[in-house]
Amino acid sequence: MEIGLNHYLVLSTILFAIGLVGVMRRKNLLMLFFATEILLNSVNISFAAISHYYGDLTGQMFAFFVIAIAASEVAVGLGLLIVWHKKHNNIDLDNMSTMRG
Amino acid sequence: MELFLYTALFSPLVGSLFAALFGASPKTKIAGIVPSALLGVSFLSSLVLLVLVMGTGLTLHVEMMTWMATGDLYIPFGFVVDQVSVTMMIVVTLVSTVVHVYAIGYMDHDKGFNRFFSYLSAFVFSMMILVMSDNFAGLFIGWEGVGLCSWLLIGFWYHKESASWAANEAFIMNRIADLGMLIGIFLVYWNTGTLQYKEAFAVMPSLDNAILTWMGIFLFIGAMGKSAQFPLHTWLADAMEGPTPVSALIHAATMVTAGVYLVVRANPLYNLIPHVGLFIASLGAFVALFAASMALVNRDMKRVIAYSTLSQLGYMFAAAGLGAYWVALFHLMAHAFFKALLFLGAGNVMHAMHDELDPFKMGGLSKVMKGTFLMMTIASVALAGIFPLAGFFSKDLILEVAFVEHHYIIYSVLLFTAALTAFYSFRLVALIFHGEERYKLFGIHPHEAYKFMLVAMSPLLLLAIIAGAFKMSYFEMVSKLLPATEYHVHSAATYWIMTIGTQLLVILAIAYAYKKYTSRDIAVPDGTSKMENSFAYKLLINQYYIPYFYQEYIVKAYRELSEVFWTKIDQKVVDATVDGIANVFYQTGERTRVMQSGNLSTMLKWMVAGTVALLSLAVVFGLAARYSGEIRVFLSGLGV
Amino acid sequence: MLDHILSILIFFPALAAMLGFVVHKDSMRSYGVAVATIEFALSLWLWFAFDSTISGMQFMEQIALVPTFGINYIVGVDGISLFIIILASFFTMIGIASLGETKDVKNMIITLLFLQMTMAGVFAALDAIVFYLFWELSLVPMLYIIGAWGGPLRIYASVKFFLYTFAGSLVMLVGMLFMAYFYFQATGQWSFAILDWYRLILPESFQLWLFVAFFLGFAIKVPMFPFHTWLPYAHGQAPTIGSVILAAILLKMGTYAFIRFSLPLFPDASVYFMYPIAVLAIIMIIYTAMVAYAQKDIKQVVAYSSVSHMGVIILGTFALNVEGISGSIFLMIAHGVVSGALFFLVGVIYDRRHTKYMSEFGGLAHVMPRYATIFGLMMMASVGLPLTINFVGEFLSLLGFYKQSHVLTLLAGTAIIVGAIYMLSAYKKMFFGVITKDENRNLPDVNKRELLALIPLAIITVWLGIYPKPVLGTIDTSVEAVVSLMHEKAISKEAKSRIPNIANETDMTKNSVEEAH
Repeated sequence: MEIGLNHYLVLSTILFAIGLVGVMRRKNLLMLFFATEILLNSVNISFAAISHYYGDLTGQMFAFFVIAIAASEVAVGLGLLIVWHKKHNNIDLDNMSTMRG
Repeated sequence: MELFLYTALFSPLVGSLFAALFGASPKTKIAGIVPSALLGVSFLSSLVLLVLVMGTGLTLHVEMMTWMATGDLYIPFGFVVDQVSVTMMIVVTLVSTVVHVYAIGYMDHDKGFNRFFSYLSAFVFSMMILVMSDNFAGLFIGWEGVGLCSWLLIGFWYHKESASWAANEAFIMNRIADLGMLIGIFLVYWNTGTLQYKEAFAVMPSLDNAILTWMGIFLFIGAMGKSAQFPLHTWLADAMEGPTPVSALIHAATMVTAGVYLVVRANPLYNLIPHVGLFIASLGAFVALFAASMALVNRDMKRVIAYSTLSQLGYMFAAAGLGAYWVALFHLMAHAFFKALLFLGAGNVMHAMHDELDPFKMGGLSKVMKGTFLMMTIASVALAGIFPLAGFFSKDLILEVAFVEHHYIIYSVLLFTAALTAFYSFRLVALIFHGEERYKLFGIHPHEAYKFMLVAMSPLLLLAIIAGAFKMSYFEMVSKLLPATEYHVHSAATYWIMTIGTQLLVILAIAYAYKKYTSRDIAVPDGTSKMENSFAYKLLINQYYIPYFYQEYIVKAYRELSEVFWTKIDQKVVDATVDGIANVFYQTGERTRVMQSGNLSTMLKWMVAGTVALLSLAVVFGLAARYSGEIRVFLSGLGV
Repeated sequence: MLDHILSILIFFPALAAMLGFVVHKDSMRSYGVAVATIEFALSLWLWFAFDSTISGMQFMEQIALVPTFGINYIVGVDGISLFIIILASFFTMIGIASLGETKDVKNMIITLLFLQMTMAGVFAALDAIVFYLFWELSLVPMLYIIGAWGGPLRIYASVKFFLYTFAGSLVMLVGMLFMAYFYFQATGQWSFAILDWYRLILPESFQLWLFVAFFLGFAIKVPMFPFHTWLPYAHGQAPTIGSVILAAILLKMGTYAFIRFSLPLFPDASVYFMYPIAVLAIIMIIYTAMVAYAQKDIKQVVAYSSVSHMGVIILGTFALNVEGISGSIFLMIAHGVVSGALFFLVGVIYDRRHTKYMSEFGGLAHVMPRYATIFGLMMMASVGLPLTINFVGEFLSLLGFYKQSHVLTLLAGTAIIVGAIYMLSAYKKMFFGVITKDENRNLPDVNKRELLALIPLAIITVWLGIYPKPVLGTIDTSVEAVVSLMHEKAISKEAKSRIPNIANETDMTKNSVEEAH
C-alpha cells in the first residue's frame, strides 16, 4: 500500500487531537509545553506533506519557520518556567491565577 | 415734538433708576421726590402732546431703533402718539404723578421707601411703553413689564407670606393669558407679515374670517388676563396685598385697563369680527354683575373696591365689544380718576385705622377725617354715576350703547349692576364714615392723613367731578381714529325715561345702603346672624368658591402631578430604564468574569471552545453561501 | 496671525495648560486668569475681524491629516458658531476668575483650560472626524471635574455622564463613517469635510437612517427627553464651575450639531422627523418643568429648568425657517448666559451654607439684597421676560415653529407658564417670607469676586435683550444660507414646501450639488 497524502494528514490530525487534549487536560506546565510541541509538529507534518504533494517549497519553508519559532518559544517558556519553579516550587497550572478577573 | 415724546416716555425710567441707586441705602426723601418730579415732567410733556394732537389732529410716529430683525421679521422700538395713546398717556402720567406724591406720605414709615419708588416708576415706564408702542411686540414688552412691576409691588412686603403668594398668583395667571396673547401675535405675524399696527390692520380686511376670529380670540385672551376677566379674575382681589398706592395706580387706574386698551387699539380687527365682539360684550356684562355681587358682602375695604374695579372693567369691555370703542376709552379715563381717588382715600382710612381693613370695625370716621370723607363720598357718587359727575356721562353712555344696539339683555344686566354698584359703594361709605364709632372698641385713635397727601389727591377729585364735561371735545378728538358712532336713543322721550329712571334707581340704592348701614345696631359680624348663614351669603363671601376650586383642583393637582412625574416617572421609569440597560452590561460582565478565572487550563479550554465555535460557524456560513440557491428553493418549498 | 486665529484659539489654552503644570501653585490663579483673558480677547478679536455680511465660513484653515481617507484638519467659523465660541471663552474666563476656595486649584484650572480647547475645537471643526475628536475629548475634563471635585455621589454621576454620552456619540460616529462612505460612492473619493457633505444629496431612505444615527448622539448631549437623566446627576454632583460650563456650553454642542449636521445634510429626514421631535421637545418643556417644580434642591430646579429651555431650542431648530433657527441659535447664547448665571448664583449660596435645599433658606432678601436682586433678574430672564436676552430667543423660536404647527406651538408656549411656576415658587421659598433659620441671619452678601462673574452676565442679559441686533444680524446671515441650502437640497415635495424658499443665492449653494447613486 502506497503511503499517500491522506495518511500524512490523518497522522497530523491524530497528533493534533492528542496535542489539543493535552493542552486542555494537563495541569503540569511542562506537559503543556510538550503538548504544544505536538500541536506544532502535527501542523509541520501536514505542511511538509502538502508541500511535497504540490511540489511547492513554500510549505516546507513555513515548517522551518514554525520549528524555529517553536524552539525560541520553548527557550523563553522554559526560562520562565524555571523562574516560576524557583519561586513557587511547583509548576501546577491551577496555582497560576494572578490574572484572575 | 419728538423731544416731548421721548421726555414723556423716558422720564419715569430715569426716575426709577434714580430711586434704584438708593435701593440698598436707608430711606431718603429725595428718592421719592425726584421720581415724582420726573413724572410731573412726563405728565406735562404728555399734556403738550395732547394739545398738539387735539389741536392739529396730527399724530406723531417715531422709530427709535431696531429691536429684532431676522428673516422677514422686523420689529423696531417704534412709538406712536395718536388720539388713543395720548389719552392713555394723560391718564397714566396724571394718576401716577398723583399717586407718587401721595406715596411720599403713605410710605413715610416704610423702610423699603426707596425701593418702592423705583418699582413704581418702573411700572409707569412699562405702562408708557405699552400704550405708546406702534407694534404688537412693543405692546408685549410693556405688557410683561407691567406684569413684572405688578409682581414686585404686590409682593412688596415680601416678608408676608400672603403677599408673595398673591404676587406669584398674579404673575402666573397673567402668564396664562400672555400665552394667548403671544399666539395672537404669532397669528398676526404669519398672516399679515408684520407686527406694526398700521400695516397689519391694513392687511386684515383681506384675510379669511376664520383666521381673524382666532386672532381676535387669542388677543382677547391676553386682554382677559391683564384686565382680570372671568375666569382669570381671582388674582385682582388677592393683589390688594400690595401697598394701597399700588392698588390705586396699578390695580385700578392703569394696568388693569391695558386689556381694554388692547381691544380699543385693535378695533379694526374687532370691527371685522362682530361675533367675537358680542362675546366680549357678553362676558363684560357678566363680569360686571358677577364682580358687583361679590362686592356686596365682602368685609375687606380694599377688596370691595377691587371688585368694583373688576365690575367697571366689565362695563368697558361691554362697550368695546359692542363697537363703541370711544365710549370704552372714555369710561376708562373717567374710571381711572374716581377709582384712584377712592383707593387713595381708602389708603388714608387704612393709615388712620392702623391697617385695619374691615369696615365693620370702623364707623363714624367722618368726624376725624373730613377731607378723606369728602373725597371718598364724591368718588363714590361718581362711581355710582350720578349727574353731573364723571361716572354719569361715561356709564350712562355705555347703557345707551347697549340699548341702541338692541342688546337688551346686556342692557338690563348693566342697569341692574349700576344699582348694585351704588349700593355697595355707599355701603362702604356708610360703614366707614357714618354710624357708631365702633373703632373705639378696638382702641384705635384715627387721625387724618398729611395735608399734602390730600392736596395731591385734589386733581383727581376735580377730574372725578368735571371729567364728564370733556365728553364732546373728547369725542371730536378720538373719532379721528376710532369709529365715530354717536349713540342716540331714537326718541327723546325714551332717552329721558331711561336717564331719569337710571338716576332714580341709583339714588334708591344709595338711600337703601345708607338706611341699612348707618343704623345704630350695626355690629361686627361674628358668623351667627341669619344672613351670614344663608346660602347666598356664603356663596358670595367665598367668591363663588372659585378660588377654592382653583386651589383644590388645579394648584393641588399640578403639584401632585409634578410630584408623580418626578418620583414615579423620572426616577422609576426613565432613569431606571437607563440604569437597567447599564445593569445588563454590568451583570453580564459580572456573570462572565468567572471565565477569567486566571486558571490557564480553564482558559485554554475556553480558547479551544471558541476556536471550535468560530470554525464551525465558518463552515456553516461557507456551506450556506455555496448552497444558497438550493436553500432558497428548499425554504420556498416549505412555504417560508 | 488672523489667518490662524482659530487654531490659536483652540490650541493656545491647551498649550498654556501644559505649561501650567510647571507654574507654582500660588501663582496659578493669576496665571489661569491671564491665559483665559487672552483667550477671550482673541475670541473678541475674532468677532471684530468677522465679516457679518458673508454667510459662508471664514478664517478657514486646512491641514491634511489622512489624505487617503479625506480626513483633514479643517476649521472655520460662521455666524452660527461664532458666538458660541465667544461665549465659551467668556465663561472660561469668568469661571476661572471667580473660582472660589477649592482644593487643588492648580489642577482645576489646568482642567478648565483643556476643556476650553475642546469647546473651541468642537464649534470650529469643519471636518467630521476632527469634530468627533473634540466632541469626545470634551468629556474627559468634565468627567475629571465632576469625579474629582464633586459631591458624595460623584463617581456614579461622572461615570453615568461619560458612558451615556459616549454611547450616543459612538452611534453618531458610525453615522459619520457611513456618510463618508456614501460620499465615496457618489464621488469616488473620500471626504469627511462637512462642506463637501453639504453638496451631497442623499436618497430619502438613507437620510432617515443617518438622521437617526446622528440624532442619538446629539439628543443625549442636549439632553432630550427621555435621554436626560444623566443631567440632574451631573449637575447635582458637579462643583459650581462644572455645572456652569456644562449648562452654558457643553449642552449647546448637541443643539449646535443639529444645525450643523442634521438640518443641512438631511433636509428631507428633518422634515420627516419634525413632528416626532417637536412632540419630544414639548414633552421636554412641560414635563421637565413640572419635575423642576417638584424639586427640593435649588440646583436641581435650575438643572431641570435647563432641560426645559433646551426643549424650546430644539423646537426652534426644527421650525426649519429663518426665524426659528436664528431664534434657537440666539436662545443657545441666551440660555448659556442665563443658566450659567443661575448656576453661579446657586454656587454663591452653597459656598455660604453648604446646602442646596430650599427649605433651609427663606427670607434671604432681608440679609442678601444684592444677591436677591441679581437672582431676581436672572430668574426673570429665565422666565423669558421681554427686554431680557432669553425672550428674544424664545419668542423667535416659538414664532418660527408656529409656521409649522399651531397646536404644537400652543402646547410649547406653556413654557412661559410652567417656567414661571417653578421659578417663582423657588424664588419665593428662598428669598421671601421671614428668616426662620438662625444660620441665615448673618450671611454675607455677594462679594467682589462673585460680582466679577455676575455683573458681566447681568449686563449681557439686559444688553442683548434690548439690542440683540449685533448678534442676531450675524446669525441671521448664516442661517439664511443654511435654510436656502436645505430648500435646494430637499427632494420630497413636503420638504420643499415646509422649508421656505429664500431667493438670494449664497456661497454655499453656488457649488454644484451632486447626486448620490
